Amino acid sequence: MLSAMDSNQKRFVEDALDLLNELDEGLLQLEANPQASAPLEQVFRTMHTIKGGANMFGFENIGELAHQLETLYDLVRQGNMQVSDGLISITLHAFDKVRDLLQEKDASKIANAESLKDHLKIAVQFLKSVETESVSSASNGSNSAITKDELATFFIRVSPTISMTPDGNHPLVFIIQDLEALGTAKTLCYKREDATVIHWDIFLSTTTAQPEIESYFLFVENECKVEYNKLLACDLFGADEFKQFIDQFETTPVSTEALQAIVKKLAATVENKTAHEEEAESSATGKKKFNDTYIKVSKRKIDDLLNWISELIILQAQLVNATSHINSVEITEVTEQLEMITSRLRDTSLEIGLVPIETLVTKFKRLVRDLSKTLNKKVNFLSEGAETEMDKDVIELMAEPMIHIIRNCIDHGIESPADRKTLGKSEHGTVKLKAFNSSSYVNIIISDDGKGINRESVLKKAIERGLVAADAVLTEEETLNLIFHPGLSTASAVSDVSGRGVGMDVVKQKINDLRGYVSIKSMPGKGTSIHIKLPLSRSIIEGLLVKVEETRYVVPLNVIDRIDRIAYDTLIRDNHVNKTVVVNEETLPVFSLRKKFHNETAAPKTTDIISVTVNGIKKGIAVDRIEGKMQTVMKPLGDVYQHQDFIAGSTILGDGSLALVLDPARLFQLSEN
Amino acid sequence: MKTDSNAYLTFALGDEKFAIPVDHVQEVVEFGQVTKVPNAPLYMLGIINLRGRVLPLLDTKLKLGLSSTDRTKKSRIMVLDIHTEDDKNIQIGATVDVAREVVEISANEIQEAPEFESLKTAAPITGIVNRQGDITLIMDITRVFSVTEVLELNRSLN
Repeated sequence: MLSAMDSNQKRFVEDALDLLNELDEGLLQLEANPQASAPLEQVFRTMHTIKGGANMFGFENIGELAHQLETLYDLVRQGNMQVSDGLISITLHAFDKVRDLLQEKDASKIANAESLKDHLKIAVQFLKSVETESVSSASNGSNSAITKDELATFFIRVSPTISMTPDGNHPLVFIIQDLEALGTAKTLCYKREDATVIHWDIFLSTTTAQPEIESYFLFVENECKVEYNKLLACDLFGADEFKQFIDQFETTPVSTEALQAIVKKLAATVENKTAHEEEAESSATGKKKFNDTYIKVSKRKIDDLLNWISELIILQAQLVNATSHINSVEITEVTEQLEMITSRLRDTSLEIGLVPIETLVTKFKRLVRDLSKTLNKKVNFLSEGAETEMDKDVIELMAEPMIHIIRNCIDHGIESPADRKTLGKSEHGTVKLKAFNSSSYVNIIISDDGKGINRESVLKKAIERGLVAADAVLTEEETLNLIFHPGLSTASAVSDVSGRGVGMDVVKQKINDLRGYVSIKSMPGKGTSIHIKLPLSRSIIEGLLVKVEETRYVVPLNVIDRIDRIAYDTLIRDNHVNKTVVVNEETLPVFSLRKKFHNETAAPKTTDIISVTVNGIKKGIAVDRIEGKMQTVMKPLGDVYQHQDFIAGSTILGDGSLALVLDPARLFQLSEN
Repeated sequence: MKTDSNAYLTFALGDEKFAIPVDHVQEVVEFGQVTKVPNAPLYMLGIINLRGRVLPLLDTKLKLGLSSTDRTKKSRIMVLDIHTEDDKNIQIGATVDVAREVVEISANEIQEAPEFESLKTAAPITGIVNRQGDITLIMDITRVFSVTEVLELNRSLN
């Protein structure tokens, strides 16, 4: 039986997928720094959230698995277990399964999936083995506590300078409640006889830093005096002695001397104490994270906004036109202001749809980890510019091709540790991802310090397969570009990881589809670097505006090699659409837009041939006339036209008329059928 | 889309008078420049620029299987908001020979649609209103402009 998800379940799945990415990130950090508490806490908290959500929305199997794993990490937190490779691996694999499962559209299929059982068993087994181990080692009792570097206990005394009651409506009362929510807190309130407050004494154990705590009092600075006293960099509420100490001040003000004395005493014993912290910390860090808020907005709303803004831009242009003959300084001022504001609105709104490529980086870290383990290679992954923003769709579409490139880097590029040593390189290879913006493009460079691409063998293989003539003289660049040719893979043995022959050509194709560019550089023995350049947004297009009959088309600039003008008669001799003609002393299969779509009227004397390279093959598009180069915003044609997929979209020209944006790859597919 | 409104927009296609719930009509605009999209069925006239929005334009009569009429001064484009089966909202433009007026039609005025001789296709009509011999056909716009149907026709064409 198919049971569709309700909206809560859908939201859970969406959130959980985000959480799983965070979890991956945390686990990888934890693996790199097994002693650090921040990633450990993050991992624990994330699992906890997944568990809670899963149980609430009817995915008990996921909840159970998360619970089992959470138990393991709780042991780590309590210092009863060390972070190990094994632990990280079983966790990663278990949640990979969860991630796969969540792709399922059918709620009951997720809830009843058997596939998590194995991972549950592994986790239970792992727990058992740890428990037996810890029993044997329990006697020594020296399990060192994890130092929580961020956690601290504060003593804060708030003395109102105006008269107020603790149950009054003054903002200060709420501020104190907010403070209490930052962690574990105990607030003591001392009143005068008329019930007005002398001061509040707050003991607060939290991960929130002091400046942030201070910021809570920002707007009531004139109405109170606040003293901060950081007692100790740990949670003092964990110590019973401390709690008892506080309790005795229920009615009398806290004596600072006594306080300092007990803190000193506790500081000595703090090593042994970790219990009672978890709730305080999870709620405290949860809050902290909340301060750095993102809102999820549906793509449709953003698209709507963009549409309204483009309408506004057109209206604004009309207004300028309509008022141009009116000689009024006031009106000119208003229209100029309006123009400025609309253009700013457009820029800002385009940015809303962009997200940082960070999500991809986490995926890649994971990939590098898993792959280097499988291939027994030592690889460091560095990233730079992960905050660079890109269109969300583009990021999703680029994930696959980039994964492929990184795979190639590790599989073919980076040598084995032994080889590297003999070559005088560090045993650890490096794969580096660098992202940055340039004008309306996002640049991504993926490089490795491996052995580089062997040009001779690429060329040899290309000749063997008849891709280039045996006596051809190719430039370095041309030779390297051969690896983007369909069906040419340089791995001499087909491996599990890469080298299936469907590789770089698909990468190139995907980048082409996004109207981007890709180039490759390689130094033998030094490494390879692949430079991908993508338009910032899928909706911005750089192209050549052409005219056929009365219809205007835009050909994306990124695929264009050259332009030639020939006599139309050259095409006319054959009545076929996709016919080879001689252009620039080379034969070129040419697709004539006029012959295919606009064959009704008399043709002009000449035709312009635009040579493009699609899927590694040179072809020509014949048009009546080229009108110029342009950069413009592309709009989709809508669902109704999804079968006319050789038209990628349309764009509004300066005079308000529309031009159709061609998708050259699909255009040629049309001619083949 | 559930609607309590009884307001309908009436329009003419040839000699027949039709009505559609006004909720589905965003606006009625005059004909402007139409950019033809090649390789599409005849009734898909192309795309138009509606104040910065790109809108697909359908020839309503061709879509219904009637013969198209020439464009006149009275020809208009109805900008329709259609909720599809797969939970999407799409906007399309649909041509009419004359756009008339918005009228109130109460539910008990609407009679069940009989078989139509004049419309050769099984006419997508949900009901008929007879006001002293002035007959208005209530069009089932989700069916007439159904995207799935458009896509299917499209597929058979390619």
